[in-house]
Amino acid sequence: VTEEPIVVDGHGGVAVIRVHGEHDVATAPALRAVVQDAIAGATPVVVDLSGATFIDSSVLSVLLSGLRRSREADRGYVLVLPAEDGAPVRRIFEVTGLIPVFAIRPSAADAATAATAGTNT
Amino acid sequence: VTTVPERLGLSLPALPENVLVARQAVTGFCEALAFPVAVIENVRLAVTEACANVVVHAYAKDAVEHLELDATAVPGGVVVVVCDCGRGVGDEPGAGLGLPLIDALTDAYELEALEAGGTRITMRFRDDDARIDASV
Repeated sequence: VTEEPIVVDGHGGVAVIRVHGEHDVATAPALRAVVQDAIAGATPVVVDLSGATFIDSSVLSVLLSGLRRSREADRGYVLVLPAEDGAPVRRIFEVTGLIPVFAIRPSAADAATAATAGTNT
Repeated sequence: VTTVPERLGLSLPALPENVLVARQAVTGFCEALAFPVAVIENVRLAVTEACANVVVHAYAKDAVEHLELDATAVPGGVVVVVCDCGRGVGDEPGAGLGLPLIDALTDAYELEALEAGGTRITMRFRDDDARIDASV
């Protein structure tokens, strides 16, 4: 079964956005809409990047704008990024120095717990 | 006898969906040259950022321009040229992270305004696995 590039799972009081495969300037607008909808939905948001194989700066821009909106709304916003070599997209976060900017957890379960607790830093 | 490619040339409409095409082509080129994975990751990301810049600016002008990519194997690495033919690159789109990323991911890069209009970015990558330690 091939997973869709962007999947939203709204169960359990947390909006989990799973990002799968390669994403760049062509798909960033769709992701932006999904992230904005999720934040507008008044639930904590988790963006799971564990299935992503490539993201560029336009996707980082979407993630940063989601972070800003979540903080304005005082809502949980947590990224899932497996540690070390487990995540192909980890490198762009390291090169841009953005690892400490986001709330990041290694698994979706940890991220959902943190987001539910309102974590966004 | 294995034939190793020496050059890759692409000319595509500057549309968002073609950034993926350019990225996959340059990835295949670097894989054929047997570059280390870490180097290929740098090339993929830097080329994506350069192409995205071209596409976003063509898009902003509501005109379909051409995105040209040329990769050449050189001793010790690869040189990739991305050209936005016909117009200059203005302010950076998105978070403004594109050029800082290119700076961090390349061994060297150069931006030139072309006399006929447009901008050319030339990016050089070394084929060894030197980790980039400088953050943007």
